[in-house]
Amino acid sequence: MRGRALAIWSAALLVVCLTTTNPITRALALLVALNGCILVRKPEMRLRPLLIGVGCAVVIAAVTTLLLSHTGTHALVHLPSSWPAVGGALTAEALSFGITTGIGVAAAVLAVAVCGLGLDGAELVDALPTGLQRTATTLGSALNLVPRVARTTRAIAEAQRMRGWRVGGLRSSAELLVPVVLTTVEDSLQLAEAMEARGFGTGRRSHFVIRQWERSDIATAVAGAAALLAALVAAVTGGTHDWYPFPNLVAPTVGVLPLVALVMLVAGMVQWRRI
Amino acid sequence: MATHLALDRLSYWYPLTDNPALDDVSLRIGEGITAVTGPSGGGKSTLLRLAIGLVPHFHGGRIRGRATVHGHDILRTPTRLLAHGVGIVFQDPEMQTVFQSVDREIAFGLENLNTPRPVMLERVAWALDVCGAGHLRERRIATLSGGERQRVAIASVLAMRPGLLVLDEPLSQLDGAGADGLLAICQTLRDEGITILIAEHRLAGLGEIVDHRLDLIGGRAAWPDGPGISIAELPAQVLSPVAADMPIAWRCHNVAVGISTPLFETGDCSQHHGEFVALVGSNGTGKTTLLRTVAGLIPPVAGSVDRWADRIAYLPQNPGALLYRSSVRLEIETTLKRRRSADEPGDIIDAMALRDVADKYPRDLSSGQRQRAAIAAVCAGAPRLVLLDEPTRGMDTAARARLIALIRSLTQDGAAVLVATHDPELIGSAHRTLTIDGERLVDGVTPRQTVGARR
Repeated sequence: MRGRALAIWSAALLVVCLTTTNPITRALALLVALNGCILVRKPEMRLRPLLIGVGCAVVIAAVTTLLLSHTGTHALVHLPSSWPAVGGALTAEALSFGITTGIGVAAAVLAVAVCGLGLDGAELVDALPTGLQRTATTLGSALNLVPRVARTTRAIAEAQRMRGWRVGGLRSSAELLVPVVLTTVEDSLQLAEAMEARGFGTGRRSHFVIRQWERSDIATAVAGAAALLAALVAAVTGGTHDWYPFPNLVAPTVGVLPLVALVMLVAGMVQWRRI
Repeated sequence: MATHLALDRLSYWYPLTDNPALDDVSLRIGEGITAVTGPSGGGKSTLLRLAIGLVPHFHGGRIRGRATVHGHDILRTPTRLLAHGVGIVFQDPEMQTVFQSVDREIAFGLENLNTPRPVMLERVAWALDVCGAGHLRERRIATLSGGERQRVAIASVLAMRPGLLVLDEPLSQLDGAGADGLLAICQTLRDEGITILIAEHRLAGLGEIVDHRLDLIGGRAAWPDGPGISIAELPAQVLSPVAADMPIAWRCHNVAVGISTPLFETGDCSQHHGEFVALVGSNGTGKTTLLRTVAGLIPPVAGSVDRWADRIAYLPQNPGALLYRSSVRLEIETTLKRRRSADEPGDIIDAMALRDVADKYPRDLSSGQRQRAAIAAVCAGAPRLVLLDEPTRGMDTAARARLIALIRSLTQDGAAVLVATHDPELIGSAHRTLTIDGERLVDGVTPRQTVGARR
């Protein structure tokens, strides 16, 4: 898959997610994003941690909104009003709004993750406009440090345990976090030093890999561009059929243009299996 | 003879320091391979970074004097422009990896220099070929061994066709085969007309290929070479034999070592108190995993480990990372307090020759000094089992001698010391070795046999 085509597709899906509060559109967008992640994922990329993360986001959004927003007419349960913040009626309106918010966040994260799972750092850099490539290279190389940070944290925790350190309280956490943060900063500086020494930031860059646009790339890019256009038109003309459950829970209706956008994105995915 | 790097009465101070890291240094680096040696904190890394302008452009600080590389004034030319003619490979190849695939990583510098694609393809192939890494071209960096990563790191710099190649302790993380391979690469590059400046503490084998030697001590340069360079190695120190009645410190019963999947099996092996055992094996064979298993930090995949030692000291790779207190002395006091030891920090401070830096912030020290500080911090308080993972990385000859003396002192006090290492001199000083050979652990090979086989 050519990076730039996938980036257009991913950007279109992200716009669909972010321009509507409609739960049906968001849920459909989530399904499209999930399908995209599964199809483009490189074998070495792990999907499970990401899915656990977005699942947690949905649950946290739903529970937080349910507990803290006491607005709405359909009470599910009453907590004692003496309980700070959470006391009062917990409503179906708050729960549905929280779930919708969580689904929107999950769909947006997975829409962006399509690029992260399907492209490596170099392909991601190539996918972006020239003006953003330097920033993308910096970000991509910084992401390379993530596994090292995990290893550093484990090694420091083990060594500190052997020195008699025990988990417990803010002070003991600092004895782990401070060396981890300091080491990460030092590692980042060394990476920056190494990049500078290899001419990074000199000016115009050439490209080692120049991939020809294939049929699947063109289909993905065209479908993404069409979906992006449909989503933007829907946002400007009020065709997103935004939905708010407060003060009374009402059934959502679906806008045509967001649906067209999602159908276009699905159409763009048709040839992904052949990649 | 053409001069590639020239310094004329150059002095350099890092930011917020009063003592110069380089002190009135004048030198000329010509063709061939020049080894930069000297004690930790002597200015080797500073000189290497100066050659490509990272000092002073990246690090800041004050500078006086004159420095040129290939005729360019280093003090007035940005690093990214000097990179056309000078390449540097740092000690830890992982810390210079930008992309995940080998070919893209090697092409990164060429892309930055806006090299036309046909030339890039040619240069990448050439660099891989010279480094004996052509078979790695399609691989992902994360799947490479330490030695393979080092080859890719050198190839990624070499592809830019530098006239001067600077290597900062390239052997420090390599096993015997990896080190031999790297030295062979250096010889090939010299034959290709590339000048090499190499800072290294691990001197075994280096003397045979080096044309010039430069000593940096306290920021001052000296040229001890002439015809027939001799690079002294640390003589093997003799430890007292282990008393026959010393109890066992730990024992592995048919342990499958690994994390979820076994890397190798130990059979029945053990270590006595008062014994110094070197754990030997190629990069990536599982030495660190065995140390962690013996320490009880991870469970064995199969089998069992028994320990009869209550105070365990464990030094991870990159041990400087665990230092976080405001001084070396406080680091040691922290361990003593946690181990409820009445020992004075001064003893181990003297043992590791840290008296001059005892009140300094550990992360301001050179890598070798930091390594010694970390060893002092974990070994304080009379541990009964000492597990050290590559403890001589970045250490000069004198510091390695102090480490061996510390190990001797610990074993005389009854501690069992197990050290994972590639360092031939450290291996040569051990009572015996445990060698990871494929899927099994070979016990009982004498140190001298092991070192002989590695050379």
